[in-house]
Amino acid sequence: MSLTAWVRRARTPEPVPVRREIAVFEPADLFDIEIKDNPETNPVLCCTGDPAGAAAFNALWLKRIASSGRYAAAVSVRGQGGTPTAEGGPEARAHDVVQAAVTVPRQTVLMGHGEGAAWAALAAGRYPAAGLVLVSPQRVPKQLPKPVGEPPVLLVVSESETQSKEAQAVADEYGITPLTFAGAPNDIFKGPAAEGLLDTVLSWLDAQKG
Amino acid sequence: MQEYSSQAAYDRGEAVCVIGAGASGLIAVKNLRENGFEVDCYERDTVLGGLWNPQNQHSALYPNTHLVTSRSQTEIPDFPMPDDWPDYPSATQMLEYLTSYAKHFGLSEHIWYGSEISHLEPVEGARFEVVVKPAAGSAARRLRYGAVIIATGHHWAPNLPSYPGLDDFRGTVLHSSQLKDPSRLRGKHVLVIGGGNSGVDIACEAAVNAASCVHSVRRGTWHLPKYLGGEPADYALARLNSRPKFLRRFLTDRVLKGPSRLAERMGVETPDYGPGDEEPVRNGRYLEHVGDGSIKRRGEVARFDGFDVAFADGTETRPDLVVLATGYQPKIACVAPELLGGTRDEPAPRLFARMFSPKAQTLAVAGLVEPGVGVLPIVHWQTHAIARWLQVRKSDPERAESFKHQVNAESSQHAVEHVDPRRRLVVDAEEYLASLGRIIDTLEQEPAK
Repeated sequence: MSLTAWVRRARTPEPVPVRREIAVFEPADLFDIEIKDNPETNPVLCCTGDPAGAAAFNALWLKRIASSGRYAAAVSVRGQGGTPTAEGGPEARAHDVVQAAVTVPRQTVLMGHGEGAAWAALAAGRYPAAGLVLVSPQRVPKQLPKPVGEPPVLLVVSESETQSKEAQAVADEYGITPLTFAGAPNDIFKGPAAEGLLDTVLSWLDAQKG
Repeated sequence: MQEYSSQAAYDRGEAVCVIGAGASGLIAVKNLRENGFEVDCYERDTVLGGLWNPQNQHSALYPNTHLVTSRSQTEIPDFPMPDDWPDYPSATQMLEYLTSYAKHFGLSEHIWYGSEISHLEPVEGARFEVVVKPAAGSAARRLRYGAVIIATGHHWAPNLPSYPGLDDFRGTVLHSSQLKDPSRLRGKHVLVIGGGNSGVDIACEAAVNAASCVHSVRRGTWHLPKYLGGEPADYALARLNSRPKFLRRFLTDRVLKGPSRLAERMGVETPDYGPGDEEPVRNGRYLEHVGDGSIKRRGEVARFDGFDVAFADGTETRPDLVVLATGYQPKIACVAPELLGGTRDEPAPRLFARMFSPKAQTLAVAGLVEPGVGVLPIVHWQTHAIARWLQVRKSDPERAESFKHQVNAESSQHAVEHVDPRRRLVVDAEEYLASLGRIIDTLEQEPAK
């Protein structure tokens, strides 16, 4: 975050605060003696453009992330799931993601899906994420902020999206090559495609420093 | 030097030494770590949070301390406070915030508690040798670091005024930092000396808790309420800064008209400088307490006399408890004043851009400013710049050179040094932030290809 961006933000009205729904799954919640919370790893905070919000990750994601020894959380931004509707566009939703990120006990990876990827990318411009994972990004603003603290960035898109302008633009913005997963862009919460995608994301995370 | 010279200094390579684990120290550790530095942070107390931690024996907290700047203007830019917190969080919340910051970024493992830096000196290769003195028992250790950041703050050496007869005064005299428990005010006749933020806050506590409260103030200060036009006052004023320059003055005067008329009515002189030239008093309750008579304002104290205190205007009062809310003296004990641009007789630091030592490239001070706005964001950008400088110094000599010119230019812009010692740390937040922005740009801009 640049100093000028911060000055500008500190002088614009803060989004209306909302009571956010945050779903948390810790390795200990699995009741599996084999799986230990590994404090060396960074937690993962997920958000999605799906109106279900955090609940969408309950079926598979949170448990799978937790079974890799990571603290897993998901947030419903304003208007999703159990979070009340409040005014504000993508900036306000990015604010919700940042506010959820600071409640996570350690420096967290931000994982966004669909429109949520845009919010995660905006949030990474204000909070030093440990990593930024963008899955099938949609409605990404033209100007993405430079991520604070230079985290590693992963872009994963479905096979049908590889040629899309959106994916290309995001890839160019961060100077990275997207990985692909089999399946439809909105079919990431359960089923074999989701499993494959999760494996990709988790092994990438394990390959990073934390 | 005999006591620790028996052993060679332990070399920590390019690691950076941060002195102090208060707010500034924690931010420094986090930003250095983020830029890839190894960090050892030394804290002489056994807890983190500096002045915000009541368990710290040097804590400056007084009863019911709250932030005087609002949440959005005070939070660390990349780690916001929870947005359901009040506009003006309490000291307890501030400590909770700093603790969660330290926990979130895993800073505690880099902090050595109960270790005071008794001395530091430059050694060859622009490096530093520091002498770490543990609080208990074992002998001092010597270590070598690639750089040192001093973040000891300036709120721990109480500034104690002297008055004739003060030593023989029969009542209780306490510095604001010794008050701790608000019940000490209950039912007492209290005299508060000092018209800064702490004096005014304590006078307000005494107004509702004590039997009576007399407030001795030597000179006029700017009194700002905590809210202006339905918004936190600092936020409202900062917003005016994004207006065109010719409008700013006019709008600021208009916003401040009401508060300054009220202050005038309550007998507070308006100083001859603007509200940004000194830390203003920010308290919405004080003038109302003066207005309902629960705080009686008096002038300067002339002398103490047995049980009585006489003021310069000839009136007298008989307090049970005198609170000296006379502030703190900025003091950096571990380093020779010459290294920070001072002299033996005039030890006040004169730093480049208020943070870099003019004598040593790898010595910097974080948080030694009074910007009249929240200090934490300023420290964030300061330490960000310092961390970038330490990187650039090694990796990019060309840019390091242009940075040096830049810093020199920035420092000469602020050459208007305040002679008044109480205003020595004052900077204009707007100008200083702009200057920090230019310094960071110089350090970060893409190299010309």
